[in-house]
Amino acid sequence: MTTQEIAPTDDFGIAEASRTNLWKDAVARLAANKLAVIGIIPIILLFFIAIFGPYLTPYDFLAQDFTARLAAPSSEHWLGTDELGRDVFSRILYGARTAVAVGLVSTAISLIVGLIMGSLAGYLGGRVDMLVVWLTDMTRSMPALLLAIVINLTLKVPLEAWMEQMYLATKNGFFRQTMWVDLVLVFGALALIQWPGYARLIRGQILSIRSRNYVLAARALGMPTGRILTRYVIPNAMGPLIVAVSAGLGGAMVLESAFSFLGVGVQLPIPSWGKMISDGLRMWQTHPYLLAGPAVMMAIITVSFAWLGDGLNDALNPRQWGG
Amino acid sequence: MSVLLDVQDLQTRFQVRKGHVYAVNGVSFQLDQGETLAVVGESGCGKSVTMLSLVRLLPPAASIESGQVLLRGEDLLQLNLRQLRDVRGGEIGMIFQDPMTSLNPFINIGTQMAEPLIYHRGMSKSEALARSAELLEMVGIPDGAARLREYPHQFSGGMRQRVMIAMSMSCEPAVLIADEPTTALDVTIQAQIVELVKELRDRSGVAVIWITHDLSVVAGIADRVIVMYAGYIVEEAPVDALFEDPRHPYTVGLMGALPSLAGETGTRLTTIGGSPPDLVDLPEFCPFHPRCPYAIDRCRKENPMLEPVIDAGDGGHRAACWVDIREVELEAGAAAGSV
Repeated sequence: MTTQEIAPTDDFGIAEASRTNLWKDAVARLAANKLAVIGIIPIILLFFIAIFGPYLTPYDFLAQDFTARLAAPSSEHWLGTDELGRDVFSRILYGARTAVAVGLVSTAISLIVGLIMGSLAGYLGGRVDMLVVWLTDMTRSMPALLLAIVINLTLKVPLEAWMEQMYLATKNGFFRQTMWVDLVLVFGALALIQWPGYARLIRGQILSIRSRNYVLAARALGMPTGRILTRYVIPNAMGPLIVAVSAGLGGAMVLESAFSFLGVGVQLPIPSWGKMISDGLRMWQTHPYLLAGPAVMMAIITVSFAWLGDGLNDALNPRQWGG
Repeated sequence: MSVLLDVQDLQTRFQVRKGHVYAVNGVSFQLDQGETLAVVGESGCGKSVTMLSLVRLLPPAASIESGQVLLRGEDLLQLNLRQLRDVRGGEIGMIFQDPMTSLNPFINIGTQMAEPLIYHRGMSKSEALARSAELLEMVGIPDGAARLREYPHQFSGGMRQRVMIAMSMSCEPAVLIADEPTTALDVTIQAQIVELVKELRDRSGVAVIWITHDLSVVAGIADRVIVMYAGYIVEEAPVDALFEDPRHPYTVGLMGALPSLAGETGTRLTTIGGSPPDLVDLPEFCPFHPRCPYAIDRCRKENPMLEPVIDAGDGGHRAACWVDIREVELEAGAAAGSV
């Protein structure tokens, strides 16, 4: 470690000590991890595209070029066009928006639910703990995709009917946008599938950290509970959580694609990689680029998140640091 | 010397599925100012639980059923949590068994050491860090200021225990409770830690309660010794009296299990037969009688109280046993002689 070589004896050096912290070290460790750095680049690019994509694309995702239907990749259409003459490259860039939005929102929802349920279970223990564990077991025992399909099939029609009713009652144009029903269902299903993982992780973290010796030692030094939580429990729980979120973001994007592939994902007009893969699969023998574009994109992002997650795990786990 | 800490009839038990674990059963003892009291006994005899009970640092399943813990006349068991926090760290410092896991791996040593100083002594961060650097030097970690910015994993076990000691002593407590602080360390480091605590004690006048199952450490550091068995104090004596003239069969057993450099070579160490009692289902009356070679009928009918032994010295030698084992030994010797 470089910090060992620095040996300041002046007052400034002492004050400096408090500023050398875990996060700085973790960033340095992450930067030294080649795979993680390679993984970060596509992820940053993905977020950039998701935000600025519409300004970068050569064509609108709906613009049809009937003269060039199912065109092979060319200088005009980098990744070719689909059967409606829409530019595949532009649609992939738009698809990044779907992927990022779905990944972030569904992860955020499941993380919040998981945090609340997990901490309740970990802190309160007893019956609350048993209930939460039972709920997570129940949810996890159901196949994820089947659950999503069931949710979509059973809730979509009543939700749309309710939206129509609300529209008739209020004449508010918002209730005519059935896209929201899709989004709610997709986010809801993703969150439902993912929250048990976070809840179990946080519960386990809290249970194990609560009984660590350093927590006892801090209590023996008379530190107040709030300080112990913020300085001892939470930082020690963060590492695994950050790793899980990083992996979970990639996982959520893949799941969303799987939903779209099966026709229970976000429906048009927003392009989704999963839907594109599903459409492309029908003609993969004659027009493989329709499948290849989104599939390769999906693969790069998934691998990137996995590498970043691994790198974060190494960077945030001081027990693995050589010293 | 005046009494600093006065523990009266302390009882702690754990709620478990099959009933209660009776971990501490009516323990009373006193600690004088500047005194070093050793608490010895096998694993699971209630040493640690007794000490954790003093500052109510027990796990959720445990409850203190009765008793008083008077620190300078103030009952710690009656304090609210806020007052108790001022006592923890401020009046009573603690060191624990496993230094490897007693420091928060995510915060550097400086920040960790500074926190109690900021909290208890109202120091500013830079003052607290400067003081922490001094404390590190005081516990024998050279170049303290530089090491403040390091993380626990950069310290060895012995060094971490030194840091723990520095932290527990940082607010100048009146009592230092050391819960087997040398058990997890190798022998050379053990001796250094014992020396360090002795040195700090002599310099600051802190009273020390040293929990251990290592009688050789006791001989080197303690003024007085309490022997615990199954949550009871079975013998209490000044350190010399205990080693020269143990009066409880359990203490005798412990002494017999101690290897000696002076003894004959090639002889087996004696052991105490059987195993420590199940604290859920304690033997009736004297807890030691199932393992005791001296047990008489009375041991199974009445629980012996901790009472001064026959011809006890000034130090207050007390034991909880119905049998005067010296007499038994004498008779046995006489019987063997007459045959």
